Amino acid sequence: MKIKKKLELVCPAGTPASLRAAVDAGADTVYFGFRDETNARNFPGLNFSREEARDGVAYAHQRNVKIYIPINTFPEAGNPAPWHRAIDDAAHLNVDAVIIADIGLAAYAAETHPALRRHLSVQASASNPEAIRFYHEAFDIKRVVLPRVLTVPEIAALNREVPVETEVFAFGGLCVMAEGRCSLSSYATGISPNKNGACSPASHVRYVEKGNKMVSKLGDFTINEFTAEETAGYPTLCKGRFVTGGRASYLFEEPTSLNVIEILPELMAAGVSGLKIEGRQRGRAYVAKVVAAFRQAIDAAAEDRTVDVSNLLSVTEGQRQTTGVYEKTWR
Amino acid sequence: MQSSTGMTPPLSPVLFAGFLFRPIPAVLLQPPLDAALYAIQKRHPDLFERLAGFGNPVYLIDPVDLPYAFLLKPEPRAARLLVVRDTAGQEADAVIRGPFLSLLKLLEGNIDGDSLFFSRELVIEGDTEAVVALRNAVDGAEIDIINDLLAALGPLAKPAGKAAALAGRVFKRAASDLSAVRDAMIAPALQRGEANGSALQELESRVERLSRRGRPVKHPSGPDQGEPT
Amino acid sequence: MSTSKLSLGPVFFNWPVEKWRDFYFRMADEAPIDSVYLGEVVCSKRAPFYEPVLPEVIDRLQAAGKEVIHSTLALIMTGREMESVRNLTEDDSLMVEANDISAVACLKGRPHMIGPFLSVYNEGTLNYLAGLGATRFCLPVEVARDTMRTLAGDVEAELEVIVFGRLPLAISARCYHARSHQLHKDNCQYVCAADPDGMELETLEDQPFLAVNGTQTLSYTCCNLIGELGGLDEMGIKRFRLQPQDTDMVEVAQIFRHVADGKMEAPAAESKLFGLMDGMPFSDGFFHGREGVSYAGDEAYVA
Repeated sequence: MKIKKKLELVCPAGTPASLRAAVDAGADTVYFGFRDETNARNFPGLNFSREEARDGVAYAHQRNVKIYIPINTFPEAGNPAPWHRAIDDAAHLNVDAVIIADIGLAAYAAETHPALRRHLSVQASASNPEAIRFYHEAFDIKRVVLPRVLTVPEIAALNREVPVETEVFAFGGLCVMAEGRCSLSSYATGISPNKNGACSPASHVRYVEKGNKMVSKLGDFTINEFTAEETAGYPTLCKGRFVTGGRASYLFEEPTSLNVIEILPELMAAGVSGLKIEGRQRGRAYVAKVVAAFRQAIDAAAEDRTVDVSNLLSVTEGQRQTTGVYEKTWR
Repeated sequence: MQSSTGMTPPLSPVLFAGFLFRPIPAVLLQPPLDAALYAIQKRHPDLFERLAGFGNPVYLIDPVDLPYAFLLKPEPRAARLLVVRDTAGQEADAVIRGPFLSLLKLLEGNIDGDSLFFSRELVIEGDTEAVVALRNAVDGAEIDIINDLLAALGPLAKPAGKAAALAGRVFKRAASDLSAVRDAMIAPALQRGEANGSALQELESRVERLSRRGRPVKHPSGPDQGEPT
Repeated sequence: MSTSKLSLGPVFFNWPVEKWRDFYFRMADEAPIDSVYLGEVVCSKRAPFYEPVLPEVIDRLQAAGKEVIHSTLALIMTGREMESVRNLTEDDSLMVEANDISAVACLKGRPHMIGPFLSVYNEGTLNYLAGLGATRFCLPVEVARDTMRTLAGDVEAELEVIVFGRLPLAISARCYHARSHQLHKDNCQYVCAADPDGMELETLEDQPFLAVNGTQTLSYTCCNLIGELGGLDEMGIKRFRLQPQDTDMVEVAQIFRHVADGKMEAPAAESKLFGLMDGMPFSDGFFHGREGVSYAGDEAYVA
């Protein structure tokens, strides 16, 4: 039997404990951000000091696991230093790649550290071959994390046209808008995913008891309400329940998690290189569980076997899951 | 540990009965707690450092199935955990409320906090950012409650006074109860509920007896009826 | 007399083609507008409706002395969409505004403009794109005043700021207009045409929040920086973009022109504008570095 090329399992870590959990559970690669506004999960109590980063790189490299550092917010005008320092430090830490969204920062990285491998963040929203070729030619980008706007056939077509690897989101929270181009959260809170690295920030979240319901609010806006029987969700703006045309619905998206575990063979056939697990803001229990399940599933897919991975459901948001945009009917 | 069927953990509010449902005055519970927190901080010096920059929030941690609640003041290296008998009138920036075992699992990072919340087992009130920060800090610390508590027994092993001696006994009992709790938590048979049916029932009735003597359990069914604080 | 210039951004909404054409004819004939951006930015399925009338609209605008710029789609996913952008960028008789980096790839080496859908937040990115031929940048909606000042002091290229209209906040592969009508995007029946200013979205507590326009999500509020034109001018930003809404845009343009020229005070202008907007509230929060929905309004005029 011919063993197919395995998908690379790229796993999140919000803390050193999660990093070790991911490595021990079978990650091929762990990605984590520095503890500041340079990464798109700039959440309270999360991310790595430079010292923790050094230890994390050592732990992973000793076990042949790679480290990617997302530096994927857009630097503040007149203050590029924190972002440049993050690139410099990533280079000195000997990480395996940095994940960048901003054009100016990509130019800085390519000039200053040509040997530092560069990936393009989903935040750059490169959704077509011309865009990807642009980043490849301009900054020698080696891999693109694809925005969550493409179906599997579209990804397959794209992979035939671009000279770089592609990585797709496999599991976890699902952006329904083109990433890096969404100002919904900052419209409601003033904190910007693009600039500050946090969407629907906890600082602006409140849960309010109203009668027998619990109301979740982001800034001044009610995002959802739950009766006692309903599973609750964090009030991520685009997973809220809103009223249009007199009807309340999850207009943008149900509170649901992406899960591609059932379409791994299709993604392999489409020429995808990396599978990215979302969830640097989730705990190490989540990381351990999801990584272990995907490790099994990826190994099985490479040998044309199937495995039962139905136990993942309890860590999904709202305990529901979807293959999302990868199926055209989602649109 | 959570199943997708939304099953209430069969162990709650059962197992912690042995320890905290004992009618111990708060004043006696406080010394061992201080020792425990001291031990945990000694073993995890970076615990709560992730909270730097959040203005020293105060948390009210309210296990709904225990006759006590706790006020946590997580200042790096000088954190305090105070036993309170009554949640009413407590000044806190944020409240975390849920079954004790869920809170314990959360503390040890054995369960995903988001999952807990999505399943409505955990209720948070007040400063959500502070709660998220605490969750991340604790999750990152890899606390092992048994080993951390056993480490704390060191200084208590040679009690200097009568109160300390009593505290030491309480504490040893707590550690042994916690071992039982943990064993139970990792025993898959218990998760299924029926396997150890008789043992569970025995525990249940014991809890009932004990909890009648402690603080009334107002919200045994879950966090969504949490009272305002 | 100020040297500042007024631009008209592309119509985001799905207006019937006659209304769309007549709107531009009237803007050509009557509005004190210097530059007009047009073309379908939101949904490629709408573009075929406008293409037949596009040449006459462009002729009319150019004959009236307006600079005409063709704006590209903001989100390009399919080969067909890419092909349309390629065709647009191959015609070098027309100035093009790139709203996706793929359009920049097609345009590099010749003068072009950068629209508000590209993530241009700092001088590094701005200067890099200027090096490829970008001569004018309309800044993203969430860029705040301090950033504008920094950029204006640091770069050669001309900067433009959206000063009026519902703000484009997000774009998606998914069509929310269709979804609201329980339809799929492929069989959307063009239900977005029913809402010439977008479909209002409210919270469960009946609080107006956003406006849905097909795959695009806009603010419910109407951005209004009429009180900030002087400040923008001082920091060196002299191009103000008005986003078309379903109201008398000639009058809107006149009001902005008067204020820019010092012929009308901002508070009077604000109340006139409000009268044109059928109760749509104003916002200027992004400009002030706060939540975009907020409105400093009068306090800004005092300061």
